Amino acid sequence: MSEIREVPLKPAFNQSRQAREAEVMLNHIVDDFIDNPAAMTYFYDLFRHAFIEGKALDRDGPGIGTTCIQVPEELIYAAGGTPVRLCNGAYHYDQVGADFMPAKSCSLVKATLGRLHSEKAVPDVGKLELIVNPTTCDQKKKAAQMMEGMGYQVYDLDLPSAKDNEAAREYWRRVVKQLAARLQKVTGKKLTRQRLREAMAKTSRAQAAFRTLHNFRRKAPSLILGKDVFLVTNAYFFDDIERWSAAVEALNAELAQREAEAFSAVQKKAPRIVFTGSPPIFPNIKLPLLIEEAGGVVVADETCSANRMLYDMTAVDEWLVSHMIESIADKYLKPCTCPIFTRNDDRIRRLLDLVATFNADGVVYQSFAGCQVYEMEQRSVAEALNKAGIPMLYIETDYSPDDMGQLSTRVEAFLESIKTRKRQARA
Amino acid sequence: MSKLRDAVNKVDLKRFRFWFQLAAFVLFVYGGYLAINLGNSLPMFSCGYIREGRAGVCYLLPLQHQLARPWGQLFGYAGIAVLTGFGIFALWFIVLNKGWCGFVCPLGTLQDWLTSLRQKLGIRQSGYTHEQFRKLTWIKYVLLALLLLIPLGIGGGLWSHEVGAPFCQICPGRMVLPLFVGDFSQWTIDFSSPGKIVLTALGMGITGLFIVGAFVKKRFFCFFCPMSALHYLLSKPALLRLRKDGSKCTRCGDCYTACDMEIREIADDVTRKEIMTDDCTLCLKCVAACPEKGALKVDFANITFFESTEEGFIKRMNKGIRK
Repeated sequence: MSEIREVPLKPAFNQSRQAREAEVMLNHIVDDFIDNPAAMTYFYDLFRHAFIEGKALDRDGPGIGTTCIQVPEELIYAAGGTPVRLCNGAYHYDQVGADFMPAKSCSLVKATLGRLHSEKAVPDVGKLELIVNPTTCDQKKKAAQMMEGMGYQVYDLDLPSAKDNEAAREYWRRVVKQLAARLQKVTGKKLTRQRLREAMAKTSRAQAAFRTLHNFRRKAPSLILGKDVFLVTNAYFFDDIERWSAAVEALNAELAQREAEAFSAVQKKAPRIVFTGSPPIFPNIKLPLLIEEAGGVVVADETCSANRMLYDMTAVDEWLVSHMIESIADKYLKPCTCPIFTRNDDRIRRLLDLVATFNADGVVYQSFAGCQVYEMEQRSVAEALNKAGIPMLYIETDYSPDDMGQLSTRVEAFLESIKTRKRQARA
Repeated sequence: MSKLRDAVNKVDLKRFRFWFQLAAFVLFVYGGYLAINLGNSLPMFSCGYIREGRAGVCYLLPLQHQLARPWGQLFGYAGIAVLTGFGIFALWFIVLNKGWCGFVCPLGTLQDWLTSLRQKLGIRQSGYTHEQFRKLTWIKYVLLALLLLIPLGIGGGLWSHEVGAPFCQICPGRMVLPLFVGDFSQWTIDFSSPGKIVLTALGMGITGLFIVGAFVKKRFFCFFCPMSALHYLLSKPALLRLRKDGSKCTRCGDCYTACDMEIREIADDVTRKEIMTDDCTLCLKCVAACPEKGALKVDFANITFFESTEEGFIKRMNKGIRK
C-alpha cells in the first residue's frame, strides 16, 4: 500500500502555463548564445523573477497602466504615480483574451486583455488605479470598455489620427493637459514645476542611456545582439525606471569595454537586420530570436516596444509647467511613427535612415495577424525599401509557437539571399 | 580640431547669446561715446535717434531720406549715393544674414529681455494660431513697400515732406532705444502738421503695443519688421546659412517648440535644404534644440561650424531640468 500523498490544491506558479512559456523563451534567449554580456544578468534575473517565479514587483505610488507609448510617463511620475505598460506578449494570455475579441484580431490586444482578466497575472505590478488607453488602433479603442467591464478605471486618451495638421497638435496638447488634471486627482498630488522637472530628469536619464545603447549598435561587427536589447527595452514596461537606467548604464559600460577590446558578438559577415512592425514583447521574442539563431543580427528596430518608445526626446524652451506639458505632449505625437496615423512618410523615412546609418543589409517586417494597420502599411513600406534597393522580408505571425519551423525556414532563406547579394556585390 | 568642434556643438547657446547680445547692445547704443561709427547702412535697428550714443545708423533711416529726394536728382547723380548706400548695406548684411536680428539688433535684444522678465514672473507665453500666422506674416512686406513708396511719392511731389521717414515715425525703436541714453524727447506727439500728428500718434500706439506684445509673445515685433522682409529678399548670397538635412529629421517638433518666431517649416519641411524662412531671426535656438546629429546646421561660407548633436542636446536640456 502506498502512502496517500497530500496534493497541493494550487500548483506552484512556476508550474503554470504562462511561467512555462516564459521559461522556454528565456532559456532560449540566455542559453542558445555564448558571450552574453555580464550586465545582461540583471535583466535575465528580472524576467525570471517576474515571469517565471511570479514575484511581485515593488512599486512606488499608485500604479497607472498604459496601453500604448503615447501616454506621457513624465506626467505620471510627476503626479506621484508609476506607469506600467500593459501591452502583453504571452500566448497564454492571448488565448485567455480570445474570448473578448473577434477571431481575427491582433494577439497583442488579446493578450493584454487576457492578462488583465487573469488572476495572479504576470508581471505582477500590484493594483492599477487607472488605465490610460490612447485611442490608437480600433482594437485598442474598443478594448477600453472591455477593461472597464473587468472592473478597471479606464481613461481614454484621445490621440488624433492625422498628426500632420496644426489643429491636431493643439488638440493633443489640450488632451494631455486634461490627462495631467486627471492624474493629479487619482494620486492626490499636485503637479508642480519642481516635480515635473524631477520626472523629466528620470525619463531623460533613461532615454540618454537608451540612446547610448542604440549608438553602440551602429558598430559593425555588432557588440550586442538584438534579442538582448529587446529584453532590455521590454523591461522598461514594468521595471523601476531608476534601476532600469542604472542597469542600462552598466550594460553600456560593458559595451564600451567590448568596443575597446574589438570584441565581436557575431560573425563578421552576419547579415545586419533592421526590425520593424508589430512589437516583440516578452515572451514573444520569437522572430528576433529566429533571426539571430539563423546567424543574422538585429542592429536596430522601428517598433513601439523599443526604439519608438524611448528614442525621441523632449525639448523645453520655457520651464513653466504649462509649456513643459505642451513640449512633452509634442514629443508623444509629432515624431511618433505608429501606423495608426493617416500617413506613414515619417515611418518610411525613419526606416531608410536606420538602414543607412546602421549599415543594415535588410529589413524584417513583422505583422501580427489581425493588426490591420501594420498589414496595410506593408505595401508602401515594401515599395519604398525596394526603390532604395533594400531587401525586406514580410512576416505575418501571431503569438502561437506553431509556425516556428516554417518561419525559421523563411528567415534562413532571407538571410542566405542577403549573403549571396553581398558576395555578388563584392565580386 | 574635433575637440573644438565638439565644444562648439555642446555650447550653452542661451548663455552665449545673452552675452553676445548684451555686448552688441552696449556697442550700438553707447559706442558713439567712444567715437565708434560704423556708418549709416547697418542692417538692423541701431537707431539714428540715439543721437550721441549710437555706433552706427539703421539703414532704413537714410534710405527713406534718400528716396524722398526730387525725382530729377534721385534718378540722376543722387542715384549713385543711393546705390552706394545700398551696396554697403548689402555687404554688411551678407556677412551675418539674418543673424543681425537674432544676435545684434538692439530692438530684438530688448524683446528677448522682456521675454526673460516674463519668464521670471512665471507668466506663460502666447502665440498665434497657424491661421493667424499665415495672415500676419504678410504685414512686413506691406510695411516695406510703404516705406519705399511713401518717400518716392514725396520726391515726386505727390505728397508733402510731413510724412518723411514714415517708418521711423511709427517704429518703436525711435521711442524706446533713446531711453537708454536718457533721451525722452521722442515721447511726444508732433503737432506741427496733420501728417506728423497722425504718424507720431500711430508711433506712440505701436510703441505701447510693442512693449505689451513683446512681453506676452516672444519677438513680437520681428514678425512685422520691414527690415526682416528686406533681409529675406537679399538672403540668397548670404554667407551665414541655416541648413537642414531632412533625411535625419524625425519631425519631433523640438525645434518648432523652441522657435521664437513659431516657424513651423523648421520642423515639418523635410525637403528644403535652405530652411531659413522670411520670419527667421537666425537665433539658432532650433539647432540647439535638435537632438538629431546633423539634421540642422549652421554654415559660414559653406563651412559648418555649429550643428545639432545628441550630446549637445542632452547637455543643454539637462541644464534646464536640473536648474
